[in-house]
Amino acid sequence: MSRERKYAMIIDTRRCVGCSACVFACKTENQVPEGFCRDWVVSITKGSFPNLSLVNRSERCQHCEDAPCVSNCPTEASHYQGDGTVQIDRDLCTGCKACMAACPYDARYIHPDGFADKCSFCSHRIKAGLATTACTQVCPTSALKLVDLNSNDGQAEALLRGREVKIDKPHAGTKPKLLWLL
Amino acid sequence: MIETVTNKLNPQVLPHLQVWGWEVPVYLFCGGLAAGLLVISSGILITRNEANFSYTVRLSALLSPIVLSVGMFALFLDLAYKTHVWRFYTAFVPTSPMSWGSWLLMLFYPLAILQAVLLYEKQLESVGALKGLIGFFRPWKKLLAFVNVHIGSGIGVYTGILLATFYARPLWSNSVLGLVFLLSGMSSATALMLWMAPEEKKRFYSLVDMYLLSLEAFAITVLIIGGVTGSENSHLAMMNLITGNFAPWFWTVSLLGGILVPLSLETLETMGKVRFSPITPALVLVGGLSLRFILVFAGQANPTFF
Repeated sequence: MSRERKYAMIIDTRRCVGCSACVFACKTENQVPEGFCRDWVVSITKGSFPNLSLVNRSERCQHCEDAPCVSNCPTEASHYQGDGTVQIDRDLCTGCKACMAACPYDARYIHPDGFADKCSFCSHRIKAGLATTACTQVCPTSALKLVDLNSNDGQAEALLRGREVKIDKPHAGTKPKLLWLL
Repeated sequence: MIETVTNKLNPQVLPHLQVWGWEVPVYLFCGGLAAGLLVISSGILITRNEANFSYTVRLSALLSPIVLSVGMFALFLDLAYKTHVWRFYTAFVPTSPMSWGSWLLMLFYPLAILQAVLLYEKQLESVGALKGLIGFFRPWKKLLAFVNVHIGSGIGVYTGILLATFYARPLWSNSVLGLVFLLSGMSSATALMLWMAPEEKKRFYSLVDMYLLSLEAFAITVLIIGGVTGSENSHLAMMNLITGNFAPWFWTVSLLGGILVPLSLETLETMGKVRFSPITPALVLVGGLSLRFILVFAGQANPTFF
């Protein structure tokens, strides 16, 4: 019996320099229309001068395990793919925007062609057996890693070992799968 | 690729990323009004002798599906993928209020139209195709009205629950919202009936509307208290509504102008101190519409879920 995959993304905030290469790679790979983005970089500055700290965070759809976009979608256009990712079937989407209203991470937008759109973890690349997304492949500091949490290859464990892990808005109860290493 | 913006894009930066515009509040108002018209006219049909009906009850039953259609058209305009509108009816998703609403509307239309046909039976009996239908359903008129009270209430509550299940928008994430929109829809419907009613029937509709407006004021108070005393998310969202940019509109147009002033006027009118004026129901209707606009827009504004 084949093992079910569970893709997640581990993002090392110590490595991230906020260059936004991930954003441009995604826009190019996925032909994201002008004025929109599937991923973005948030820079958070804390403290007061001269004691300042800066954290860069590359963000995108969290591919939640308990995704409110899926439960609120009236047509099953938003769905779990079975590999731990949340995908949108454009043929089923009505553009009603319920998923946008439901997402605590504001990860979605309406594509000018009428359907809801967001990060897919480059599902077309995963299907082609590449096991990388455009953003992870282009990241110059290797801050972004696409991992399979159900895999026995030890990659996820190695990245997480000894590091403090942050997930965004855990109180939303959505079980997000972007893991930021602090 | 010439674009250089890579920071978080949200409605505060780019307004075109706002989830819902004017179409959804118009739909929610029309849905509530149509539901209210069906509930009130059905309630009267159950409890009163039809021989004493004025044209108001019949006209309300007829208006209900028409008003709903206006709202549905607004909702259709909001769809980004209009040619896929039929996709709502290729699935039923129990966790999606929008899916429930889509299917409930499929029950609403035939039952509301059937009730309108039965109430206009004298005018329609001569239409050959309807004669058999009217004859078949005539004995079940009160049962149909009983079912319609529930279908109408379901749609009225649904217009609020649709928003209330989005916990990512803390202003909406309040279970009282369903009750607020139901009562608001019913008070708007009664106000419209008051407007249409002949002089001798106005007192009845005015009394019903006073009762509904009082309940609505109570429900909105509970909504505000629930938000203010809720989690940090709910608290900030509610404070944004009652003290932020939307506050002047909320307090003056929706609450003062839409509930308290018409409630006072209706009290004076039913006591016979002043003549019934069309201004009173107009205020209730404007108040109901403004409440939908303010809640839909404020719910999408800062502070969102953090």
